[in-house]
Amino acid sequence: MDIVNNVKSSSHRIRNSIATLVGLVFLAGCATNAPQDTWQPRGDNAQVINNLQWIIFPMAGVVGVLVFAFAAYTFWKFKDRGQPIPSQSHGKPIVEIILTIIPALILTVVGVFTFRGIFELSNTEDTQMVINVTGQQWWWEYDYPAQAEQGITQPIITSGQLVIPVGTKVLLRETSRDVIHSYWIPALNGKKDAVPGRINLLRLQADKPGLFAGQCTEFCGLSHANMRMEAIALSKEDFAKWAANQQKAYTSPADGTLAKEGEGVFLNQCIRCHQVNGLKKADGTPALAAPDENVYSGAAPNLSHLMTRNTFAGAKFDLLNKTCRSDVWDASPEAIGAKYLAGVSESCLNATDLRAWLRNAPAMKPMYSDPTKLGPSGGKYRGMPNLGLTETDIDKLVAYLLTLK
Amino acid sequence: MATNELPISSSQSLGAVRRPVNTKGWREWLFTVDHKKLGIMYGCVAFTFFIVGGIEALFIRLQLALPDGRILSADKYNQMFTMHATTMIFLFAMPMAAAFANYFLPLQIGARDVAFPRLNALSFWLFLSGGLILNASWFLGGAADGGWFMYAPNSGPVFSPSNGVDFWVLGLQIAGIASLIGSINLIVTVLNMRAPGMTLMKMPVFTWMILVVQFLLVFSLPVITVALVLLMFQRSYGATFFDVSQGADPLLWQHLFWIFGHPEVYVLILPAFGIISEVLPTFSRKPLFGYPFVVFSGASIGLVGFGVWAHHMFASGLGPVSVAVFSMATMAIAIPTGVKIFNWLLTMWGGKIWYSAAMKFAIGLVVLFTIGGLSGVTHAVAPSDTQQTDTYYIVAHFHYVLFGGMVFGLFSGFYYWWPKVFGKMLNEKLGTWNFWFMVIGMNLTFGPMHILGLQGQPRRMYVWTEARAGEGFFNLGFWNMVSSIGSFILAVGVLFFIINVIKTTRNKERAPLDPWDARTLEWLTTSPPKVHNFDRIPVVHHLDEFFHRKYVEDETTHVMTQVAKGEDLVRAEEAAADADIHMPGASYWPLLLSIGVAVLGMGIIYGTPIMVVGALVVLFSSFGWVLEPSVPEPIDFDSPSHDGHTKEIASLG
Amino acid sequence: MADIATHDTDHATDHGHHSSTGLSNNKLAMWLFLGSECLLFGGLISTYMLYRGRVQNGPHPSQIYDIPFTSVSSFVLLMSSLTMVLAVSSAQRKDDAKTNLWLVITALLGATFIGGQVYEFTTFYREGLGFTTSLFGSSFYALTGFHGVHVSIGVIMLLSLMGIIKKGKITGDKAEVVELIGLYWHFVDIVWIIIFTLVYLIPS
Repeated sequence: MDIVNNVKSSSHRIRNSIATLVGLVFLAGCATNAPQDTWQPRGDNAQVINNLQWIIFPMAGVVGVLVFAFAAYTFWKFKDRGQPIPSQSHGKPIVEIILTIIPALILTVVGVFTFRGIFELSNTEDTQMVINVTGQQWWWEYDYPAQAEQGITQPIITSGQLVIPVGTKVLLRETSRDVIHSYWIPALNGKKDAVPGRINLLRLQADKPGLFAGQCTEFCGLSHANMRMEAIALSKEDFAKWAANQQKAYTSPADGTLAKEGEGVFLNQCIRCHQVNGLKKADGTPALAAPDENVYSGAAPNLSHLMTRNTFAGAKFDLLNKTCRSDVWDASPEAIGAKYLAGVSESCLNATDLRAWLRNAPAMKPMYSDPTKLGPSGGKYRGMPNLGLTETDIDKLVAYLLTLK
Repeated sequence: MATNELPISSSQSLGAVRRPVNTKGWREWLFTVDHKKLGIMYGCVAFTFFIVGGIEALFIRLQLALPDGRILSADKYNQMFTMHATTMIFLFAMPMAAAFANYFLPLQIGARDVAFPRLNALSFWLFLSGGLILNASWFLGGAADGGWFMYAPNSGPVFSPSNGVDFWVLGLQIAGIASLIGSINLIVTVLNMRAPGMTLMKMPVFTWMILVVQFLLVFSLPVITVALVLLMFQRSYGATFFDVSQGADPLLWQHLFWIFGHPEVYVLILPAFGIISEVLPTFSRKPLFGYPFVVFSGASIGLVGFGVWAHHMFASGLGPVSVAVFSMATMAIAIPTGVKIFNWLLTMWGGKIWYSAAMKFAIGLVVLFTIGGLSGVTHAVAPSDTQQTDTYYIVAHFHYVLFGGMVFGLFSGFYYWWPKVFGKMLNEKLGTWNFWFMVIGMNLTFGPMHILGLQGQPRRMYVWTEARAGEGFFNLGFWNMVSSIGSFILAVGVLFFIINVIKTTRNKERAPLDPWDARTLEWLTTSPPKVHNFDRIPVVHHLDEFFHRKYVEDETTHVMTQVAKGEDLVRAEEAAADADIHMPGASYWPLLLSIGVAVLGMGIIYGTPIMVVGALVVLFSSFGWVLEPSVPEPIDFDSPSHDGHTKEIASLG
Repeated sequence: MADIATHDTDHATDHGHHSSTGLSNNKLAMWLFLGSECLLFGGLISTYMLYRGRVQNGPHPSQIYDIPFTSVSSFVLLMSSLTMVLAVSSAQRKDDAKTNLWLVITALLGATFIGGQVYEFTTFYREGLGFTTSLFGSSFYALTGFHGVHVSIGVIMLLSLMGIIKKGKITGDKAEVVELIGLYWHFVDIVWIIIFTLVYLIPS
């Protein structure tokens, strides 16, 4: 920790001097509250990076200003005003040596800080919680292995939004099921690629409860732009509630309801790829999804407790309508936990996008799901196909999905 | 020709086909082996690709001007940014540098041609075939869509099922062969064919930088060739190199690609550094400040450039030790780069600066490249880079370096050397318009990208969303719009150049022989130079030989006195012309051989029969090439003379 | 492209026969080309070294390599370097008959090596190692195949050279042309020594 403090104190000094001026001029031209701003750290790891940024950017700025001032003076001073042709001097080695040594010294200083930062960020020894993060075209899966100290006794599998407790050193173990993706929540840390066949480690820690935006940053094919993510930090108590809810057993909708009919549609169509934990077939045997038979990556989002999430389809679409969604986004750190845990009620549901998605998913998000063009992937989809559902089916499904709390 | 052991008469029967002798009209270009004609052809083709790549860029900016853009589909957008980068790097920047190198390198070292004129022609035709194959994919099922870095496994047959990547792989392999041959040719030319007295340390800096670049190419191209071949084997023949289900490591591609890809960055920028290292001294009327330091910094940039490739992979999970090492190496490379900038500024210091269009562009490079260099240092700091990489901040950085740096350098070269190549001056007034529109357009386009990136907009996204754009007047939507408007201003700037070229071509007025009071040997001959470049091979005594033939410095007062005019020096050379100059004759084989290679390549996509045809053409033209007489057929012709001064040249040699 | 470079005598240098490096243009070009080739094989060898142990289907390296057989064919290739040296020295003594003789023997030894490689490949294939079987298979065939193509091009160059010498159609300096092909030939041999050591002898 003393490294962090060192960096912090030196950066503060710089912040209080020249940098404020340069910074203010620059920041005046920036967006406020940009969700993916790289200069708004909300946790330790991002802070380490931010401290380095506050060293290198002002330094580069100062060097730039000095060089340009010198250049501008030269351009003006030695303009051809009819002076004689200058003596043909080929330069002075001593000047060269000085001008080599100065940048070398500056960079040595930067190098020392960088070196510390790199090793500081690679530290994973005091990790308090582990989450397996798996990228695939074009969504992220979060798999919380059982870890009793966090109140997780049976694995939780979710997608779209990463939920973490505040003040906890969380270790993401990243990999991919198809191509390379990159996990990036700028407020919490820099990015780390999810490489198939490898496990890369990324540490996150959030200081306060809040919602943090992110985006896949390694080009991963057709819908790369639509592969978003969000991280939600909850207070430890709220996290415990969330975790308990995720481990809650499945309750089938009451007989005779629209939702019960929706369960039938789900069992008929969606179960081919999407798992709902605890769901049983009509004959009482467990209904098990088989995404590996239908999807190239071998996985589709697990929809148990879908309505505890705010987003769907790789976090491209909101499950909450605009009002309810901004209610969560804009909530204070104290209030966000309760609002998030409330989940998606019928009145808050973004039914327009959800229905459109169920009607024809490929029209909503570019994917490889044209059944006639699946030759190269051995007949398997990359993304969700158009299931040809009728409007009544969609009514039933929406009613059913709303029960997945 | 001392090596001629055979009597002339029997040489006529040599070879499968006689060398083309009647080289007038279009044949003059098709079969030429003249480095100057090839240079011009390189330039024309490269500029055409610059326009193509530019139009692709405009499509990209149109799509991104507003949130959720609908100009392009996701698929088309991915093809567009892949081909924009590929075209600009491999089909514009490298061949445009090759154009300058081809034309001026022999002239600057006082040679009459390159070491292997036919190979030089082969390089050009192969490059053209590669470029055409790459772009043909647009019309044959869609262009490559994996990004110019073409990371595995996304480039594999499953994830990129169209033929685009196959065309890309083949086009780049063929263009790579072209560059490799070209680089060997130029290295031999520089090392073996300099005029008497021109030691390495008396060589113009442009020639030096080109030499460094050719060494970079010789040792980096084979590495990308391996990567491309492995990918081709996987896509076309089912090999498993990047198949993760077989246990493949996707990072293999990244290492191979960037071991080539980073030296490639210096391949792109160093020629522009070379150009402005000629322009700045000429228009400051002073020699380059610290010539040896500029030369050695160029060489060390080249050398260290081979040791920093993994800074493109800071987010790939290399482990802290590798990251730290590559981070430090990357900072180290900033030092020689800084040395160059200081030396350029100090060259102007104390000078007598003439702000011609060429000089404006050169100064533009110094300033804009410095901005790009400083943002470069910010991502040498690896942790900071993990926030910046794959965002628009990187796009801003490398466009300042490559557009502000390289393209401005090349434009500086256009204005500086146009009178040399075409014997006419480009219009200075239009040049000024060209410059200011490009400066303003470029800063409006790429400046806002710094903000976009630092505020979290990733690259390579076919749409951006308002939900992530932030609030306030200066939100990301505002800056995206500014950037898009800027790109059209930039395009207008380029349009001014095209207008200038058309206007100059129509203009009848001849340029003076030494319009800039220049310093190096290429000005010691007519404009455009004769086929044989120099009427007599100059003997070199100084760095900046041409200048020192014009001016004499008083030893004690250091006052420069003009003792001769450039024009007089050129006339004096003509009067003392060598009696008997042999120049190489035209040849069919470079063109035919490259057609064979292209057909062979297409066979990999379209089946073995086409491949066999291609292989036969390659075999036939290889033998034709080898058997082609290097001994002249006894038909001499008068070289086209541009100034009424006729001189008989033995046509072949 | 080496075969193309070799005969492109330096047309343009008739006034500049001084050469600053002391090497002729052709020889310098060949050295540069071979320098570039080093990295080509470097890349392929690295790929093989990375992948040789990664076998999910088909045989492992240790199961199919026939070291004695490959040792013999390596020895044959090694001997061809010796005969190439003899060809070069005969060419320098302007002894056409001997030059031709040694060139033929070199080409024959090269062809024998290629024959051995073809035999080896077919055996491996029958034992279940195809180009697409595993990472080991792909990288093994890519590396040794690339080398085989180099040897084959060398054999074609040797035979063509002989034909050209016989018909008296050689352009430029005959001894130098033989020497250039010799350089290429030795390079291909040396690469094989490295491949043989790394691929066959060092167990994975």
